[in-house]
Amino acid sequence: MGCGTVLEDNIIVSEVQFVESGGGGSSAVGQFVSSESENRIPAFGESHIAGIGRASRAQTLQKARLHINTLGHQLKMNQHCLDTAFNFYRMALTKHLTNGRKCGHVIAACLYLVCRTEGTPHMLLDLSDLLQVNVYVLGKTFLVLARELCINAPAIDPCLYIPRFAQLLEFGEKNHDVAMTAMRLVQRMKRDWMHTGRRPSGLCGAALLVAARMHDFCRTVKEIVSVVKVCESTLRKRLNEFENTPTSELTIEEFMRVDLDQECDPPCYTDGLKKKKIKQLEVELKKKMDDVEDEIHDYEDEIDAELESVRPKLRGVYAAYTKQEEEDVKDDVLSPSSKVSDDGDEEAEEELQAVAKHFGKELGELTLEALLKLEKKRPEEEEEEEEEEEGGVPRRKGPTLESILGRMPTASTLGLSESISNCIGHEKENDGAADSGELDLSGIDDSEIELYLLDDREIRVKTALWMAENSDYLKEQREKEVKIAKEKELGIYKEKKPRGPSRKRAPIRASTADEAIGKMLEQKKISSKINYDVLKDLNIKPGASPARVVESPKKEPSAAKLTGRNRHPARAPLSLSTPLSTLGKRLPINNI
Amino acid sequence: MHEEKAPYGILAAPHNFHMDSGNDDALDIIITNVVATFKTRCHLNLRTIALEGVNVIYKPECGKVLMKLRKPKITASIWSSGKCICTGATSEDDAKRGARRLARCIQKLGFKVRFSAFKVVNVLAVCSMPFSVQLIDFTKNNRPIASYEPELHPAATYRIKHIKATIQVFSTGSITVTGPNVQNVATAVEEVYPLLFECKKPLRK
Repeated sequence: MGCGTVLEDNIIVSEVQFVESGGGGSSAVGQFVSSESENRIPAFGESHIAGIGRASRAQTLQKARLHINTLGHQLKMNQHCLDTAFNFYRMALTKHLTNGRKCGHVIAACLYLVCRTEGTPHMLLDLSDLLQVNVYVLGKTFLVLARELCINAPAIDPCLYIPRFAQLLEFGEKNHDVAMTAMRLVQRMKRDWMHTGRRPSGLCGAALLVAARMHDFCRTVKEIVSVVKVCESTLRKRLNEFENTPTSELTIEEFMRVDLDQECDPPCYTDGLKKKKIKQLEVELKKKMDDVEDEIHDYEDEIDAELESVRPKLRGVYAAYTKQEEEDVKDDVLSPSSKVSDDGDEEAEEELQAVAKHFGKELGELTLEALLKLEKKRPEEEEEEEEEEEGGVPRRKGPTLESILGRMPTASTLGLSESISNCIGHEKENDGAADSGELDLSGIDDSEIELYLLDDREIRVKTALWMAENSDYLKEQREKEVKIAKEKELGIYKEKKPRGPSRKRAPIRASTADEAIGKMLEQKKISSKINYDVLKDLNIKPGASPARVVESPKKEPSAAKLTGRNRHPARAPLSLSTPLSTLGKRLPINNI
Repeated sequence: MHEEKAPYGILAAPHNFHMDSGNDDALDIIITNVVATFKTRCHLNLRTIALEGVNVIYKPECGKVLMKLRKPKITASIWSSGKCICTGATSEDDAKRGARRLARCIQKLGFKVRFSAFKVVNVLAVCSMPFSVQLIDFTKNNRPIASYEPELHPAATYRIKHIKATIQVFSTGSITVTGPNVQNVATAVEEVYPLLFECKKPLRK
């Protein structure tokens, strides 16, 4: 410590000193330090920077306050609410909730939060009307805000909205009476479980309509809708639901006097009950239908048989089948078919029985014979599948198609054998194989996948169709390419490189502060105005000039801090020969 | 009769709560949607896929191809980077099978597909309580985990942070649960059941 050492700088004192300025006036000594600027102790050389009290955070807050006041006055909210809203906004700022959100949305959400906590009759819809923003977008912001700030907004009570709507509907002197009636109605609705999960404005609308009519005001549905902002069908639905409650049976005087004790079930529950009843009825009807259908099928078969007798007869084995007598073969065939079905699933058995019953015995015998004919050794399951299929496919057409079609396609020719075994058997999953990147093909039927791919002709057709449909998009693409080519020729074209992930710089590890600062300066070339070499020299020679040494480390952090924020890039370069007196006014005069 | 939606499991109503009705009903949790992603580790030409596939919709503005499979019933969005998202499956196994089918399909079109990084991202299940729920009481008891905004959505939302599940409770007593996998969904239902039971609404028969 020698002569000229700065012992303390910018001390915070509680006394006020005055200094005479050039024109004869006096000004207080000191600087304004903003309470919101984070721990930025103004260092030695900084004090002459303009606007030190106007940190960016303060600016943001000021703008926000302005917006809040504007919106609040439009909504006619009192000053206390606006102040609370501003506090909410400040909390949101500190929690970085404004990042990535439009500041208008955040402000609206803060205002609505205040409305909810204070219980003012403002709806989210009003705010969205003012801002011309979708309600659900605002709602999302509001929910996030409420969650992050841990503010429990009380649930909306529809009774809050009634006085407001009543005023808009202009009931004149009887305003209060109508409002009270409407409130009673709403409370009744609440007890009847009509209000859970519904918009409160809808309930209010219905209550006000009824109350108005009770007091001999004829307000049409349209007027109510324009005030309450729900649609007509909602209003009508609420009225219908209210109609279903026992309270609707009371007369006006009774309603005002008496309050029924019993509570209703919620309307969605009664609706659910109704649906169940309808379903039950349907099931019963279906059973009856089945019986009727059986009869119809019999008639159908007879008609088909007649038609077939008119058609050209086939030669060969199949003709024999069509001419065969039903009764003779029926018993023989049914027993083997029933044996087969015993082995298989219940579904197949049911199908077979249905087939045997409904379609005439020819089908059962035909399919079995056809299978035997095809002399493929297949598992019994597949036989059943086939029978099921063939039974299923020509269900309504009767047996004649089979004879006409001739040899039935087998499972293998259709390429379905594997898929059938898939349906019935197990599929083993090999998780280990999948992780290595290899595609595990177990359980995947290639031929089925083939069905998903088009063949050449179809590809051509689809290409043509797609080109036709997307011609606009393709034109745009071509124009873009032409533009890029032109620009390339002219040399203007700036290739838009896809931005890779921003590389995070390795954290600086240093033992002393000087080292850290030195490393940081190396990494980040901060300012072109600072002569780094001089600064480096200063660090090396500690004892050379104490005043300079003391200055320089102070300058470095200040330089680092300033340029880190990139606030005032254009500054007169600080050199060591700058006299202190030029560095700033209003400095406490130290004895240097 | 075929059950289209596979019920995941049977959850027995817990008996350690004071239940007046004393019923032994089991709660069916029905999984309605499973979303999974995987990567094919190779660049895909979307136009080829679009023009040669059967159930394919190409959206060049979004830069992706929508491919629908019939069995299992799955819709997949495929990007040219090789990333695919499959939605519409009804179980985790179904999702995996569908994803592998999809990869096989793309492989057949001529791309060198490798099936990697398969992950089930989201599971959506519905469950129906045998009673109705008073949403306002439910929200009051469970602040701030539960939130209810009748102006925005008719259901109350209950977010369980530690298992990352979200439950939406409707006043009829049915709930929808979304979570990262099926186990979490089941745990979430078990956790929320007692809370819902407290706010049960006595029904008039």
